[in-house]
Amino acid sequence: MRHQANPWITSNLWLLSAAMLPAIILVGALLFFTGWAVTFSFTDLGLTGRKAVEWSWVGLENYERLFTRKGFLESLWTTVIFVFFSAIVGQSVLGFLLAATLRGTVSTTRSVVEICIMLGWLLPDIVAAFLWSATTSQTGLINSLFVVPFGLKPINFINDFALPVVTLANIWKGTAWSYLLFVAALDSVPREIIEAAKIDGATRWQRAWLVVLPIIRPHIATNLLFITIWTFTYFPLIFAMTGGGPGRQTETLALFLYNQSFARGNLGFGSAISVAMLLIVGALSTVYLRMLREPK
Amino acid sequence: MERTTLSRPMAIALAFMAVIWVSPFAWLFSNAFDTAATGRLVWPQNFGIGNFTGAIGGDAGRMFLNSLLIAAGTATISVVVGAAAAYPLSRLRMPGKNALLWTLVLLRMLPSVGVLVPLYFAAQRSGLLNQFGVMLALSCLNLPFTLLLLKNFFDTVPIELEEAAYVDGASLWQIVTGIVLPMSRAGLAVVWFFSFTGAWNEFLLPLIFSRVEAAFPMSVGLYGAFGRMGAIDYGFLAAFSIIYAAPAVGVYFLLRRNMNTGFAGVGVKG
Repeated sequence: MRHQANPWITSNLWLLSAAMLPAIILVGALLFFTGWAVTFSFTDLGLTGRKAVEWSWVGLENYERLFTRKGFLESLWTTVIFVFFSAIVGQSVLGFLLAATLRGTVSTTRSVVEICIMLGWLLPDIVAAFLWSATTSQTGLINSLFVVPFGLKPINFINDFALPVVTLANIWKGTAWSYLLFVAALDSVPREIIEAAKIDGATRWQRAWLVVLPIIRPHIATNLLFITIWTFTYFPLIFAMTGGGPGRQTETLALFLYNQSFARGNLGFGSAISVAMLLIVGALSTVYLRMLREPK
Repeated sequence: MERTTLSRPMAIALAFMAVIWVSPFAWLFSNAFDTAATGRLVWPQNFGIGNFTGAIGGDAGRMFLNSLLIAAGTATISVVVGAAAAYPLSRLRMPGKNALLWTLVLLRMLPSVGVLVPLYFAAQRSGLLNQFGVMLALSCLNLPFTLLLLKNFFDTVPIELEEAAYVDGASLWQIVTGIVLPMSRAGLAVVWFFSFTGAWNEFLLPLIFSRVEAAFPMSVGLYGAFGRMGAIDYGFLAAFSIIYAAPAVGVYFLLRRNMNTGFAGVGVKG
C-alpha cells in the first residue's frame, strides 16, 4: 500500500525519531508505572511517616492480606454486583432496547430521547453525583413526588438503599454509550438479510434472536468489554455520593484501593489491590476478546 | 426490527423514560435560578441570577480558571506530543510496529486506578504534586488513545500529495505544516476537545494531587462543597454545577458530527 521509501521520510529519520521521543518517554512511563505497582505490592511502603522512607520487602504478605483479612473479597463482591446490575443489565440491555425500539421511528421522538440520555452521559461525574444525592435526599425530588404525597415518611434513600441508588445513578449516567454503539451496530445489519428471513417465514422474535444478534455479536462483545472495564474501575460517582458507606456497603474495589492507599496510607497494600484489579480486568478482556474472535 | 411507527404504549413508555431522565435537570435549573432555593422542585420563588454571579466570583471563579488551565494544558500537551509521534508512526515502516500498536491498544484499556499509587509516588518524589503534575499525568494516561486516533487520521491523508510537494522541493517541515496538519485539522480538533473534556471532568487525580485549596479545580471544589456537613446552599451549588457542566456538554454538541470518528477509533490498522 504505502511506497517502500518516501525520500522526505528516509532522509529525516533522526528528526522523526526525535519527534517521537516525548511520546516514547510518556508511554514508557506508563509501562514503568505498571511495573512499579507490581514492585510496590511486595513492600510495606507507607504514605507518610517512617514507612514512607524506610520501607522493606514483605514478600507475599500483602497478597495474603487480600484473602485473609476482611475487606478485599467483600469489595470484590460489591463491585461484581455493581458492574452486573449497572453496566451489563442496566446500561447494556436498556441501551440495546432503546436502540432497537427507536430504530426507524419519527425523528423528533428519537432526538428528544437521545438528547435526554446524552445529557446524563456528558455531565461531569461530580455534577451527576451532586444531582443524585440531592434528588434522593430526604427533602429531594423522589421523596416529594412519590413518597410524601402518599402519606409515607420521607425515606433517606442514600442511606437505606445505597447500592441500588448508586447503581441507578450509574445507569442514568452511562446508558448513552451503549445506546450509541448499538445504534451503529443495528445500522450495520444489511436490510436484505432481514427481508429474506421475513420471506422465509421467521417470526419477529426469530429474526432478532437468530439473524440480528449473531451479526452484531462483535459489537456486543466490544460494548461489554468497554463498559465492564470502565464500571469495574469507576471511582468518582460512588465516592462523591457515598464515600463507600454507609458502613462499607458501596465500597467497590476502586474505593477500597483509594481508602487503603490514601486514607489509611498503606501504599504497599494499595498496590497489591491495584495489581489484583489489573489481573481481573486483564482476564475479563481476554474472555471478551475471545468472544469477539470466535467464528460465526 | 422493521421500519414501523411506534405503538401507543411504547410511545408512552418512552415519554415516561424521558421524563425520568430529565427531571433531575429540571430540578437543577429551578434551584439555580431561585435565590432562595431549598433543594425542592418548585417554581423559583425568588427568581434571579444571583446564584450565578455568586458562582463565578471569588473562590468559585478561581476554581473555574484552575479547571480551564488543567483541561487546556492537558489537551495541548496530548495533541502536540501525540501528533509529533503519530506522523512518523503513520508513515514509517519499522520493525515491531504492529506489536507497538497493540501495546497502545492494551494500554488504552489500563484503568488509571491501577497505576494510581506509582503515579502519586512519582509525582511526590519529583515535586509535581501540583497542576502541572495533573496535566502531565493525564496526558500520560491519554496518550495511547490520542496516538492511535491521530495515527488513524494521518493515515487518511493521501501520500500522493506529500510526494508532489516533495517533488516541488518542499522540506519535511513544509510538508507537515503545509499539507498534513491542515488536512487533519478536524481530527486534531476532535482529539484536542476530547482530551479537554476528559481533563475538565477529571476528579481523582486533582483530588490526590492538589495539596492546597487554591489549586482545586471545579470537580474537587464541588465535591468539597456538597460533601460538607451542615446546611447545603442548593442554589449556589446548582448554579455552580451548571457552569461546570456547560463546557463539557457544549463541546459535544459543537463537535457532534466529528465525534463518530473518535468513537470508532479503537481499531488497529497495520
